[in-house]
Amino acid sequence: MTEMEPREVGIDNLLRRSMTGAVPSLPTDFDQRLMRELSRGSQPLDRYRRILLAGYGVTSVVTSSVVMHGQGLNWGAISGMIVGPLALVAAARWAWRAAERNSRT
Amino acid sequence: MESDSQLVARVQSGDQQAFAELVRRHSARVFRLAVSILGQEFVPEAEDVTQEVFLKVHHAIASFRGEAEFCSWIYRITFNQAVNLKERVRFRSPHEDETVLYSAASGEPGPDRQAETAQRDRALAECIRTLPEVYQSALRLYYWLGAGVGEVAELLGIPENTAKSYLHRARQLLQGMLKERGYSCD
Repeated sequence: MTEMEPREVGIDNLLRRSMTGAVPSLPTDFDQRLMRELSRGSQPLDRYRRILLAGYGVTSVVTSSVVMHGQGLNWGAISGMIVGPLALVAAARWAWRAAERNSRT
Repeated sequence: MESDSQLVARVQSGDQQAFAELVRRHSARVFRLAVSILGQEFVPEAEDVTQEVFLKVHHAIASFRGEAEFCSWIYRITFNQAVNLKERVRFRSPHEDETVLYSAASGEPGPDRQAETAQRDRALAECIRTLPEVYQSALRLYYWLGAGVGEVAELLGIPENTAKSYLHRARQLLQGMLKERGYSCD
Protein backbone atom coordinates (compact mmCIF):
# COMPACT_ATOMS: atom_id res chain seq x y z
CA MET A 1 0.00 0.00 0.00
CA THR A 2 1.40 3.44 -0.91
CA GLU A 3 1.06 6.37 1.45
CA MET A 4 -1.70 8.62 0.22
CA GLU A 5 -3.45 11.79 1.11
CA PRO A 6 -6.99 11.46 2.56
CA ARG A 7 -8.52 12.96 -0.59
CA GLU A 8 -6.92 10.18 -2.66
CA VAL A 9 -8.75 7.44 -0.76
CA GLY A 10 -11.84 7.80 -2.98
CA ILE A 11 -9.95 7.34 -6.26
CA ASP A 12 -7.88 4.55 -4.70
CA ASN A 13 -11.04 2.67 -3.74
CA LEU A 14 -12.54 3.30 -7.16
CA LEU A 15 -9.44 1.90 -8.89
CA ARG A 16 -9.43 -1.13 -6.60
CA ARG A 17 -13.15 -1.77 -7.25
CA SER A 18 -12.91 -1.16 -10.97
CA MET A 19 -9.70 -2.85 -12.10
CA THR A 20 -10.73 -6.37 -11.27
CA GLY A 21 -10.56 -8.06 -14.68
CA ALA A 22 -8.94 -11.49 -14.99
CA VAL A 23 -5.15 -11.34 -14.83
CA PRO A 24 -3.70 -12.90 -17.99
CA SER A 25 -0.68 -15.18 -17.95
CA LEU A 26 1.63 -16.71 -20.53
CA PRO A 27 0.69 -20.09 -21.99
CA THR A 28 2.35 -22.91 -20.06
CA ASP A 29 4.32 -24.05 -23.12
CA PHE A 30 5.67 -20.55 -23.86
CA ASP A 31 9.25 -21.39 -22.83
CA GLN A 32 9.40 -24.53 -25.00
CA ARG A 33 7.90 -22.69 -28.00
CA LEU A 34 10.42 -19.89 -27.61
CA MET A 35 13.38 -22.28 -27.41
CA ARG A 36 12.11 -24.15 -30.49
CA GLU A 37 11.77 -20.82 -32.32
CA LEU A 38 15.32 -19.89 -31.32
CA SER A 39 16.89 -23.12 -32.49
CA ARG A 40 14.92 -23.01 -35.76
CA GLY A 41 15.75 -19.37 -36.42
CA SER A 42 19.43 -19.21 -35.54
CA GLN A 43 21.08 -22.51 -36.46
CA PRO A 44 20.87 -22.51 -40.29
CA LEU A 45 21.86 -18.84 -40.41
CA ASP A 46 24.89 -19.42 -38.15
CA ARG A 47 26.00 -22.42 -40.20
CA TYR A 48 25.60 -20.46 -43.44
CA ARG A 49 27.53 -17.49 -42.04
CA ARG A 50 30.31 -19.71 -40.78
CA ILE A 51 30.71 -21.46 -44.16
CA LEU A 52 30.71 -18.11 -45.97
CA LEU A 53 33.28 -16.59 -43.62
CA ALA A 54 35.53 -19.66 -43.73
CA GLY A 55 35.38 -19.68 -47.56
CA TYR A 56 36.22 -15.99 -47.72
CA GLY A 57 39.09 -16.43 -45.25
CA VAL A 58 40.66 -19.38 -47.08
CA THR A 59 40.35 -17.66 -50.49
CA SER A 60 41.94 -14.44 -49.25
CA VAL A 61 44.79 -16.27 -47.46
CA VAL A 62 45.61 -18.38 -50.56
CA THR A 63 45.38 -15.38 -52.92
CA SER A 64 47.52 -13.07 -50.78
CA SER A 65 50.11 -15.85 -50.18
CA VAL A 66 50.47 -16.48 -53.92
CA VAL A 67 50.73 -12.74 -54.66
CA MET A 68 53.29 -12.15 -51.89
CA HIS A 69 55.33 -15.17 -53.03
CA GLY A 70 55.19 -13.76 -56.57
CA GLN A 71 56.68 -10.52 -55.17
CA GLY A 72 59.69 -12.48 -53.90
CA LEU A 73 58.84 -13.05 -50.18
CA ASN A 74 59.78 -16.46 -48.78
CA TRP A 75 57.11 -18.79 -47.34
CA GLY A 76 58.31 -18.31 -43.73
CA ALA A 77 57.74 -14.55 -43.83
CA ILE A 78 54.39 -15.03 -45.58
CA SER A 79 53.23 -17.50 -42.87
CA GLY A 80 54.34 -15.05 -40.16
CA MET A 81 52.44 -12.19 -41.77
CA ILE A 82 49.25 -14.26 -42.00
CA VAL A 83 49.35 -16.14 -38.71
CA GLY A 84 50.71 -13.23 -36.62
CA PRO A 85 47.66 -10.91 -36.81
CA LEU A 86 45.30 -13.88 -36.38
CA ALA A 87 47.16 -14.92 -33.23
CA LEU A 88 46.99 -11.34 -31.96
CA VAL A 89 43.21 -11.19 -32.50
CA ALA A 90 42.75 -14.56 -30.76
CA ALA A 91 44.93 -13.46 -27.83
CA ALA A 92 43.08 -10.14 -27.46
CA ARG A 93 39.74 -11.97 -27.51
CA TRP A 94 40.94 -14.45 -24.92
CA ALA A 95 42.26 -11.66 -22.68
CA TRP A 96 39.02 -9.68 -22.99
CA ARG A 97 36.93 -12.72 -21.99
CA ALA A 98 39.23 -13.46 -19.06
CA ALA A 99 38.92 -9.86 -17.88
CA GLU A 100 35.12 -10.07 -18.19
CA ARG A 101 35.07 -13.26 -16.13
CA ASN A 102 37.28 -11.71 -13.44
CA SER A 103 35.16 -8.56 -13.21
CA ARG A 104 32.02 -10.66 -12.66
CA THR A 105 33.47 -12.84 -9.90
CA MET B 1 21.03 -21.35 -7.42
CA GLU B 2 23.07 -19.62 -10.10
CA SER B 3 22.84 -15.85 -10.40
CA ASP B 4 21.66 -14.17 -13.59
CA SER B 5 25.19 -12.99 -14.38
CA GLN B 6 26.53 -16.54 -14.06
CA LEU B 7 23.81 -17.74 -16.42
CA VAL B 8 24.57 -14.90 -18.84
CA ALA B 9 28.26 -15.92 -18.86
CA ARG B 10 27.23 -19.50 -19.67
CA VAL B 11 24.97 -18.30 -22.49
CA GLN B 12 27.85 -16.21 -23.84
CA SER B 13 29.94 -19.34 -24.04
CA GLY B 14 27.19 -21.07 -26.02
CA ASP B 15 25.12 -22.87 -23.36
CA GLN B 16 21.50 -22.89 -24.52
CA GLN B 17 20.28 -24.55 -21.33
CA ALA B 18 21.39 -21.46 -19.43
CA PHE B 19 19.33 -19.29 -21.76
CA ALA B 20 16.31 -21.55 -21.19
CA GLU B 21 16.78 -20.98 -17.45
CA LEU B 22 16.89 -17.19 -17.96
CA VAL B 23 13.66 -17.42 -19.98
CA ARG B 24 12.03 -19.53 -17.27
CA ARG B 25 13.08 -17.00 -14.62
CA HIS B 26 12.04 -13.81 -16.37
CA SER B 27 9.29 -14.57 -18.89
CA ALA B 28 6.35 -14.08 -16.51
CA ARG B 29 7.55 -10.66 -15.36
CA VAL B 30 8.43 -9.54 -18.88
CA PHE B 31 4.89 -10.52 -19.89
CA ARG B 32 3.37 -8.64 -16.92
CA LEU B 33 5.29 -5.52 -17.88
CA ALA B 34 4.23 -5.82 -21.53
CA VAL B 35 0.59 -6.35 -20.55
CA SER B 36 0.71 -3.37 -18.19
CA ILE B 37 1.80 -1.16 -21.07
CA LEU B 38 -0.46 -2.56 -23.78
CA GLY B 39 -3.52 -3.07 -21.59
CA GLN B 40 -6.17 -5.76 -21.42
CA GLU B 41 -7.19 -5.22 -25.06
CA PHE B 42 -3.89 -6.44 -26.44
CA VAL B 43 -2.95 -9.52 -24.42
CA PRO B 44 -1.95 -11.59 -27.52
CA GLU B 45 0.33 -8.72 -28.58
CA ALA B 46 1.88 -8.73 -25.10
CA GLU B 47 2.72 -12.39 -25.64
CA ASP B 48 4.33 -11.50 -28.98
CA VAL B 49 6.30 -8.73 -27.30
CA THR B 50 7.54 -11.20 -24.68
CA GLN B 51 8.73 -13.54 -27.42
CA GLU B 52 10.38 -10.73 -29.40
CA VAL B 53 12.15 -9.49 -26.27
CA PHE B 54 13.75 -12.87 -25.66
CA LEU B 55 14.70 -13.25 -29.33
CA LYS B 56 16.35 -9.83 -29.15
CA VAL B 57 18.08 -10.68 -25.88
CA HIS B 58 19.39 -13.94 -27.35
CA HIS B 59 20.72 -12.05 -30.35
CA ALA B 60 22.36 -9.29 -28.28
CA ILE B 61 23.53 -11.23 -25.22
CA ALA B 62 27.04 -11.66 -26.60
CA SER B 63 27.51 -7.90 -26.31
CA PHE B 64 25.92 -7.65 -22.85
CA ARG B 65 28.76 -6.56 -20.56
CA GLY B 66 26.95 -6.71 -17.25
CA GLU B 67 27.24 -2.97 -16.56
CA ALA B 68 23.56 -3.05 -15.57
CA GLU B 69 21.64 -5.90 -13.95
CA PHE B 70 20.41 -8.43 -16.51
CA CYS B 71 16.81 -7.95 -15.37
CA SER B 72 17.00 -4.14 -15.69
CA TRP B 73 18.36 -4.58 -19.21
CA ILE B 74 15.61 -6.98 -20.22
CA TYR B 75 12.84 -4.82 -18.67
CA ARG B 76 14.12 -1.77 -20.51
CA ILE B 77 14.00 -3.69 -23.80
CA THR B 78 10.46 -4.83 -22.93
CA PHE B 79 9.29 -1.32 -22.11
CA ASN B 80 10.63 0.10 -25.38
CA GLN B 81 9.33 -2.81 -27.44
CA ALA B 82 5.83 -2.60 -25.90
CA VAL B 83 5.61 1.20 -26.24
CA ASN B 84 6.68 0.96 -29.90
CA LEU B 85 4.08 -1.71 -30.55
CA LYS B 86 1.43 0.33 -28.76
CA GLU B 87 2.09 3.21 -31.15
CA ARG B 88 1.55 0.84 -34.08
CA VAL B 89 -1.62 -0.83 -32.76
CA ARG B 90 -3.20 2.40 -31.49
CA PHE B 91 -5.71 2.58 -34.32
CA ARG B 92 -6.34 -1.15 -34.55
CA SER B 93 -9.57 -2.44 -33.02
CA PRO B 94 -8.80 -4.26 -29.77
CA HIS B 95 -9.37 -7.99 -29.20
CA GLU B 96 -11.26 -7.11 -26.08
CA ASP B 97 -12.69 -3.85 -24.87
CA GLU B 98 -10.69 -2.65 -21.88
CA THR B 99 -13.86 -1.72 -20.09
CA VAL B 100 -14.25 -5.44 -19.27
CA LEU B 101 -11.21 -4.92 -17.08
CA TYR B 102 -13.08 -2.25 -15.21
CA SER B 103 -15.87 -4.61 -14.28
CA ALA B 104 -18.61 -3.19 -12.14
CA ALA B 105 -18.76 -4.68 -8.69
CA SER B 106 -21.61 -7.16 -8.43
CA GLY B 107 -24.44 -6.50 -6.06
CA GLU B 108 -24.97 -2.88 -7.08
CA PRO B 109 -28.58 -2.01 -6.27
CA GLY B 110 -30.82 -1.44 -9.26
CA PRO B 111 -30.18 -1.24 -13.01
CA ASP B 112 -29.84 2.57 -12.95
CA ARG B 113 -27.04 2.42 -10.43
CA GLN B 114 -25.37 -0.36 -12.41
CA ALA B 115 -25.55 1.64 -15.65
CA GLU B 116 -24.11 4.65 -13.87
CA THR B 117 -21.24 2.60 -12.47
CA ALA B 118 -20.53 1.08 -15.89
CA GLN B 119 -20.48 4.56 -17.39
CA ARG B 120 -18.08 5.81 -14.74
CA ASP B 121 -15.83 2.78 -15.23
CA ARG B 122 -15.78 3.47 -18.98
CA ALA B 123 -14.82 7.09 -18.28
CA LEU B 124 -12.11 5.89 -15.89
CA ALA B 125 -10.70 3.56 -18.59
CA GLU B 126 -10.65 6.45 -21.08
CA CYS B 127 -8.94 8.75 -18.59
CA ILE B 128 -6.27 6.14 -17.84
CA ARG B 129 -5.52 5.84 -21.56
CA THR B 130 -4.69 9.56 -21.71
CA LEU B 131 -2.08 9.35 -18.93
CA PRO B 132 1.66 9.14 -19.73
CA GLU B 133 2.81 5.56 -20.47
CA VAL B 134 4.72 5.10 -17.20
CA TYR B 135 1.70 6.21 -15.14
CA GLN B 136 -0.60 3.85 -17.04
CA SER B 137 1.82 0.99 -16.60
CA ALA B 138 2.30 1.73 -12.88
CA LEU B 139 -1.48 1.86 -12.33
CA ARG B 140 -2.18 -1.40 -14.19
CA LEU B 141 0.67 -3.18 -12.42
CA TYR B 142 -0.43 -1.98 -9.01
CA TYR B 143 -4.22 -2.13 -9.21
CA TRP B 144 -4.90 -4.76 -11.86
CA LEU B 145 -1.94 -7.12 -11.77
CA GLY B 146 -1.53 -6.89 -8.00
CA ALA B 147 2.14 -5.88 -8.03
CA GLY B 148 3.59 -4.24 -4.95
CA VAL B 149 5.36 -0.86 -5.16
CA GLY B 150 8.70 -2.71 -5.12
CA GLU B 151 7.78 -4.74 -8.18
CA VAL B 152 6.40 -1.68 -9.99
CA ALA B 153 9.71 0.08 -9.33
CA GLU B 154 11.78 -2.88 -10.47
CA LEU B 155 9.83 -3.44 -13.68
CA LEU B 156 9.87 0.23 -14.63
CA GLY B 157 13.52 0.60 -13.63
CA ILE B 158 12.90 3.40 -11.16
CA PRO B 159 13.47 3.87 -7.41
CA GLU B 160 10.59 2.88 -5.10
CA ASN B 161 9.93 6.48 -4.11
CA THR B 162 9.55 7.43 -7.76
CA ALA B 163 7.08 4.56 -8.24
CA LYS B 164 5.09 5.86 -5.26
CA SER B 165 5.09 9.37 -6.69
CA TYR B 166 3.99 8.06 -10.13
CA LEU B 167 1.03 6.32 -8.48
CA HIS B 168 0.25 9.41 -6.41
CA ARG B 169 0.41 11.70 -9.45
CA ALA B 170 -1.65 9.28 -11.56
CA ARG B 171 -4.38 9.17 -8.91
CA GLN B 172 -4.41 12.96 -8.68
CA LEU B 173 -4.67 13.33 -12.44
CA LEU B 174 -7.45 10.75 -12.66
CA GLN B 175 -9.38 12.39 -9.86
CA GLY B 176 -9.21 15.73 -11.67
CA MET B 177 -10.22 14.24 -15.02
CA LEU B 178 -13.18 12.36 -13.54
CA LYS B 179 -14.30 15.50 -11.72
CA GLU B 180 -14.16 17.46 -14.98
CA ARG B 181 -16.43 14.84 -16.54
CA GLY B 182 -18.83 15.12 -13.66
CA TYR B 183 -18.08 11.87 -11.84
CA SER B 184 -17.45 11.51 -8.16
CA CYS B 185 -14.83 9.07 -6.90
CA ASP B 186 -16.81 7.94 -3.86
